[in-house]
Order: sequence, then C-alpha cells, then structure tokens
Amino acid sequence: MSTFKGDQRKQGRKRWSRIKTNVSELISGIRENKFASIARAISIIEDGNSVRRKDILRRIGKPEKRSHIVGITGPPGIGKSTLIGNLSSGMMDQGLRTSVLAIDASSPFTGGSLLGNRIRMQENLRDANIFMRSLANRGEKGGLSRSAIGAVRILEAAGNQEIIIETVGAGQADLDIMNLADTIVLVLAPGLGDEIQAIKAGIMEISDIYVINKMDREGAYFAMKDIEDIVSMDENSGWKRPVVGTTNQDLSSYKSLIDAICSHRKYLEGRNLLSVKRGLMEMETALEDEIDEKITRKLKEMLHNEERKENVNLATEDPYTAAERLLQNFIKIREQSTSSP
Amino acid sequence: MAAGKNQSSYKQRPPKILLAKPGIDGHDRGVLVLARAFRDAGMEVLYAGLLPTPEEVIDTAVNEDVDVIAMSLLNGAHLTVFKRVADLMKERGIDDIALVGGGTIPEEDKPALEAMGITGNYGPGTPLSIIIEHVQRRSAEARKKKMEQD
Repeated sequence: MSTFKGDQRKQGRKRWSRIKTNVSELISGIRENKFASIARAISIIEDGNSVRRKDILRRIGKPEKRSHIVGITGPPGIGKSTLIGNLSSGMMDQGLRTSVLAIDASSPFTGGSLLGNRIRMQENLRDANIFMRSLANRGEKGGLSRSAIGAVRILEAAGNQEIIIETVGAGQADLDIMNLADTIVLVLAPGLGDEIQAIKAGIMEISDIYVINKMDREGAYFAMKDIEDIVSMDENSGWKRPVVGTTNQDLSSYKSLIDAICSHRKYLEGRNLLSVKRGLMEMETALEDEIDEKITRKLKEMLHNEERKENVNLATEDPYTAAERLLQNFIKIREQSTSSP
Repeated sequence: MAAGKNQSSYKQRPPKILLAKPGIDGHDRGVLVLARAFRDAGMEVLYAGLLPTPEEVIDTAVNEDVDVIAMSLLNGAHLTVFKRVADLMKERGIDDIALVGGGTIPEEDKPALEAMGITGNYGPGTPLSIIIEHVQRRSAEARKKKMEQD
C-alpha cells in the first residue's frame, strides 16, 4: 500500500499545473486525475450555463467502472466533517482512491455561504493527497446541491473508487441523498433522543450504516443500544444495518466504519445494485436540462415575441389558457418542421 | 433578493473567496469578522484555518477554484510570506486567481506588495464596505480571466 501512496505523491506536483478552461484539455486532465482540471470542470458545472455543462458531461461519457458513493449525513455539528477526514485518509491507506464533496448551506438572505467543512479535514486531505471540493447548496433543499450530481460524474471519470459526499447538516426529512448515494451513513451522537426518536420515519429509515460519533462522551453506549434495538427489529433478509461507534480520540475506531462501508459495497455489487438509483437520477437531470434547452426556453421566447407583436392580450387572457395555446402552437410548429422534407 | 428564494436558478455563481493567514500568526479574530462580512455580502467564503503554509493555501485555492485569495497577517512577515504565495502562483502558472492583502501593513511596504500583484493591503480600522467592494472588483476580474481562456 505504501507504494500506492508514493506514486500519488510523485504525481502530486504535476497535478497543479496551469488550469485550462479548454474543454478537450479539461477532459483529458480529468482522466489523468489532475486536481486543477477536476476543480475547473466542477466550477463550470456549478455555473448554471446548461450548454457548457452538457458539453463536459457528454464528453466524459460512460465510465468503465462505477464509483461507490458514500453519503454522510446527520444533524449540524455532529462531527461529519471530522469523521470524513479520518475516513477518507483511512480509505486511501487501504489503496482505495477517494475524493470528497462537501455541501454547506447558502444564506437565504444574501446567497452567501461560509464553506467550513474543509477546515475540519484539512490535515488528512493534505497528508493523503485527497481531492476535496466544497459546494454551496444555493438554496436547494434536501441536503444536497444541484451541482453534486454532475460533480460526482467528474470525480468518477477521474478514476475514484470511493466518493464521499457530506450533506448539509440534515434534519429528519432531508432525504435527497438517498437518490445519489449507494451507501448512506447516518452520523449521530449521544444525547439526541430516546428509542422513540430512533423508530421515527424519514432519515432513520434510509440509512445503511449508523454511526454514533463522540463515543468518548457520556451516554454513548446508551445511544448505541437504542439504535441497535431498532436494527434488531429489521427483517432478517438482506442487509443487516451495523451500528458503529467512532471517536476522534481513538483513530482505530474508524477501522470498523471502513469495514462496514466496504461490506455494504460488496453487498450491493453482489446484487447488481451499485449506482442504479444514481443512474436514474442522472438521466432525470439530463432530461430536465434537455427540456429546458429545447422546449422551455423556446416557449418563453415565443411568449415574449407574442407579447411584443401584441397578438396576445396578457391583461385579459387567463394565464393557463394562454399557456395551453402556446404549447399547442409549439407542438404544431415542431410537427410541421419534422414532416416537411 | 427575497428571503428564502431558491438561488439555484441564478446564472452566475457567487464570487468564491479563500481567506488565509499563511504564516506563523494565531490571531484570527479579524479574519473571522471578514469571513462573516463576505458571507453577508453574498460571497462563498472559505477559511484556510490557522497556520497553513503558502503551498497549502494555493493547493486549497486550486482545488476549490476560488476567485480571490484574501491574505491577512498581523505578524509583520507580509513581505516574506505574501511574496512566497505570489511567487508560487507564478511558478505554477496560475494567473486567474486574484491576490488581496491586509493586516498590519506599514504604508511604505504597500508599493512593494502592489508590484507583486497583491492589492488592497488594508490596515486596522478600514471600513468593511471598502474591503468588500475591492474584493468584489478583483473577483470579477479573476472570473473574467477564467472565462477568457476558453
């Protein structure tokens, strides 16, 4: 394993060469796992220009090997970022190439954001030479950012075996991560609630692995017992959800978390379930982009043209009637253009 | 902008700023005030934490693809450390990230810093609005450069 890390370091210098925005160069940079190219490509995905985003994501193409996406979720301040630092460097030590995406909240008032995840994992990232990117959620609910789907595809194309996603500090109903991640790790800590909390619906149901973090705190074993009780009520078939205790005071405690994640990966691979849901979500987003580009934008153009030509009296016509008429016109024009030679 | 409005439909992403104290300097009250001010001005703000090396600051800036590195030092080492950051950027051929400085910087050091491409160099007591305006302008310049490389 030490040779793997050595190779990584040797390549390290080369990876910081000049950032190029030229798309073909970006794509080849991503394939070579150049951090600068990956970073710039993610920026373009974030930018909101659907044409450029499409250009990059199309040219990346279908990956030879799907990455395993690990979603880390849990309430704010529970220790997700610190845990990811130790987890990602532990995975690199085992020879698994790992990258991290961390999502933080944007302000609903100004749109600004304080991306504070990196600071908790900085040392691990540096020592193990791990690519990590912070994303702001830009007002998106559900704990994820819209760009996360595209960013995951870029990291996959860079040849990462494991991609760790940290959600925004999540509440009981922030469940979007379940469509993107293969393995969902819910991080909890002592003192959050009793066994009734533990059998609630929502985030408690969707998790594949439970972590009780801050095991050095009082009441940690009671918290573990509460979760183990609900896990013991699971049906006997399929995946048996493990409960793992971790603490930053004892780095060997992360070993059992890595083992649990790896065995869930094997479980999914054995049943051909790896990235099935994600594939569907990627398709949906691509479809939305396509509809936006080919239909929604054109329809809005039509609307503005009509308004300019005063064919439509926006003051008197009911908006829904107008919308229906516009869409029908649009379809008619499309049919004519496709039927004529 | 209306509170709670979904911002994901915004065309341009907000400016992204990395705040750093790239030297032996543990006084981060000021830099935290700035972090909050930049956030409230609608920017996406990263803070590199205490005691990062210039190399780490640049690695973070490249990974996160920031527009501005805003450096602050209160220990008087700005001519050495800020220069090291600027030199490293030149070495690696990075010209689309703007460098902005601040801290306890004597008036006579400012021309030297400006010559390295490190602008601003605001001292204690500068109104936040002036710093924000400067960072926004520099960030817009950097963003334009990023687009030009297409």
